[in-house]
Amino acid sequence: MIKIAWNNTILHASPGDTVAVALYRHGIVSIASTRKLHEPMGYSGSYVGGVLARVDGQPNIRLDQQPVRDGMRVESQNRWPGASCDLLSLARFLPPRWVYGGFEHGRFTPRHGRAYLLWERLLAHLAGVGRPPPRPRSASERPARKLGVDVLVAGGGPAGQKAANDIARTGRTVALVSRGTTLGRYAQAMGVTPLALHKDIIVLSGMELCGSYRRGSLMIAAPMEYESGAVAIEAESLVLATGKSSMPPMVRNSHLPGVMDAHTALLLGHFHAVPAGKAIAVVGTGAETMVAQRLALLGSTVVYCGHVSELTCIHGHSRVTGIDIGNRRIRCDAMVHAGAWRSDPSLAFQTGAEGVFQVSDVMSVDADTSCVGFCHEPDQDIHVPDMMDPAVRICPCMDVTAGEVTDLIDRAVTDPEILKRLTSCGMGPCQGFPCWESMLALLAKRTGQPVDSLVRPSHRPPRRALTVAQAAGLCDVVQPL
Amino acid sequence: MQGLSCAINLALLGIRDIVVLDAGYWQGGASGRNGCLIRPGFGGHDWTRLFELSWREWTTLSQKLGHNVMFTERGYTMIAETGQSADMLRNASQLHRQYGITSEILTSRQISKLLPAINQEYVTAALHQPRGGMAPHHSVMKGYLHACGEKGIEVRYRTAITGFDMHDHSVRGVYVNDHLIRCDTVVIAAGPQSPELARYAQAEIDGYMMRIEAMALEPMRPLIGPALALIDSLAYFHQTARGEVVGGTEVPETPQTNLRADVPAMAAMARVYTRLFPQLADIRILRQWAGLLHISSDLAPLLGQHPRVRDLWFSAGWSYGFAGAPGAGLLMAKAIAKGQVDEILRPFALDRFEKGNPIQEAGVVMIKN
Repeated sequence: MIKIAWNNTILHASPGDTVAVALYRHGIVSIASTRKLHEPMGYSGSYVGGVLARVDGQPNIRLDQQPVRDGMRVESQNRWPGASCDLLSLARFLPPRWVYGGFEHGRFTPRHGRAYLLWERLLAHLAGVGRPPPRPRSASERPARKLGVDVLVAGGGPAGQKAANDIARTGRTVALVSRGTTLGRYAQAMGVTPLALHKDIIVLSGMELCGSYRRGSLMIAAPMEYESGAVAIEAESLVLATGKSSMPPMVRNSHLPGVMDAHTALLLGHFHAVPAGKAIAVVGTGAETMVAQRLALLGSTVVYCGHVSELTCIHGHSRVTGIDIGNRRIRCDAMVHAGAWRSDPSLAFQTGAEGVFQVSDVMSVDADTSCVGFCHEPDQDIHVPDMMDPAVRICPCMDVTAGEVTDLIDRAVTDPEILKRLTSCGMGPCQGFPCWESMLALLAKRTGQPVDSLVRPSHRPPRRALTVAQAAGLCDVVQPL
Repeated sequence: MQGLSCAINLALLGIRDIVVLDAGYWQGGASGRNGCLIRPGFGGHDWTRLFELSWREWTTLSQKLGHNVMFTERGYTMIAETGQSADMLRNASQLHRQYGITSEILTSRQISKLLPAINQEYVTAALHQPRGGMAPHHSVMKGYLHACGEKGIEVRYRTAITGFDMHDHSVRGVYVNDHLIRCDTVVIAAGPQSPELARYAQAEIDGYMMRIEAMALEPMRPLIGPALALIDSLAYFHQTARGEVVGGTEVPETPQTNLRADVPAMAAMARVYTRLFPQLADIRILRQWAGLLHISSDLAPLLGQHPRVRDLWFSAGWSYGFAGAPGAGLLMAKAIAKGQVDEILRPFALDRFEKGNPIQEAGVVMIKN
């Protein structure tokens, strides 16, 4: 039996659980909180900030990637005076408008001198982040390795597996990188039997392709665990089979614990036999019925299934307690979204984008980069309500609300890069996905422009997938140009 | 930032009809991609005089602009990792005293107190300037932009200059496509594009475009107080008020002319962090990015009127432009509006190379490709 301590309470966990799953199993859904206003967040599949906690003294560990270990001590961060009591959560009662532009804007703060130094010190604590880790005597780099292949396939789902098999059969060398430690997790959770992989495929599982450099000819794969080194992959061509993610609905409280994407709900149900809630509502853009049926088959009680555009509000204070469909209230303790589906544009952007004034994706992705599977299909539009609720979190980790974004748009700030700078939207642990999708959808709606015509803010590597020691290990395997 | 600083200082001297054109977006150039670090003292006389003046401007910049630029005097510490650099820092400390700059070589005990997280094994000397520090570039640029607006200066972004209207080796206007903006004086403060714009006006200037890179670590509570510059590792970094450790280093590479980031600079910076701040080893890197700058042969800025094209001024070739902009803007404006080229500005003249007077400076953290 594995025992872990969560905020000093001992919990039993099952082998094979991640910490996020183990907590969910015990009904602990509120793991973290937003940085400024201390709104609760949890395991959502959408926002990394919801699953960050301190593990055995190390801050900002992703609990959805961290397997449980006997004796592990896990604490929530950004709480004062202690992990189990957070007086700072009184900030939730502040009007969101007070933190427009972040805590850093200087209108109400001292302009210089000692008073400013004191304010800055306070700010550093209010900024809501973890304590540094304890000091080791010395630290060592995690040596990286280099891998050269003909083709690199990003994504271990059925499309990635099929693409890798097809390439391997032609005699070319191929590497397959997958975030999951098991390939095709979501497909398996939907009841799809995984393909048998060709024996010559080099599988790098439990790794994230966190950066595409030199027009895609150099890719960096980062391992999820700290002890391993990164892999620098040089490939002749790149196949993106990264699928799509479901975008959180743009309604009030979509950041609350209990709201999760279909992938996460399916993983919980299929691999861990943990239902997303006692009464689940499922919304989507077409896939909701299939997802609801599968969740029901996995033992969940589905109380509502319908199109995401029908959803008008999510209720709850510390977790979901119900949703509004039009004027009808439905009681539920979990809300699963299955669409709008959009691809994470990060790798394609980094491969194709360049510029002198702005790194933008005006360049088409090179001929030796291709997309297969769900990722190849067009992205779906995010439904933006006509009457946008200003309290909707566009980027919950950084407490950016729809009100803050529309306030700027209405003052003629319509350049996505400037919106990003003025609000810090997408500057948190997710590094822009899904937050910029929501921000751009809102901007498009408000200004009447097509969303595809907007110039995206730059998607930058390595999007918190790589540690400092792992990056240091790359010194010996990647030479300057 | 050079452009806005020059513009606001011109307006404060009573000059009207000022327009600022920027080919990029607001803060998209080096103004929004720098290390945010500010210090008065360098290793040589010329840089120290210019940056001491600029630092004095920083201390009153919020009042001057009427907006809080959030300059914080958290201190600026230069770290030497070799004996040679340690000697340079000791000499610099004496130079700073000549100019009345508070600066001291720290004892090992003082280093432990100021930087408890640093691994002193690699430190041969540390020079601390307690009045130096940093300011978030977004608040500074917000201050400058708003102040310019309030003074009636028109600032247009995403507006590229496509040519100059020239008469008899003198500039009389700029073209934005077919549109001609007539003017008496043009100041080129276009960062990496300055040499190209100079060529449009048949006015060659020294230097070329190159890329440097930086990165931000995920945020945490305060670990590193002052701004830091490592002379030998060519690295500079600080921890922002919201907790991210932001900094960069340089690697010997063929100069790149594009904003794509690459692996070696990130890896080299990570190596510096791992060695000097072991607590950072398992912290994750949020993002990395590249910026472009115009680097001159002696790494010093080019400030003043072009020697052969009348009414064409430059504030170019900057590598410490964020720290230097408030002071340089003040001196440039005085030179343009009143025709008084300050003694501090004079050594940075554009023709210093042909006159055999390049600037000597050992206290900058900058690679020469």
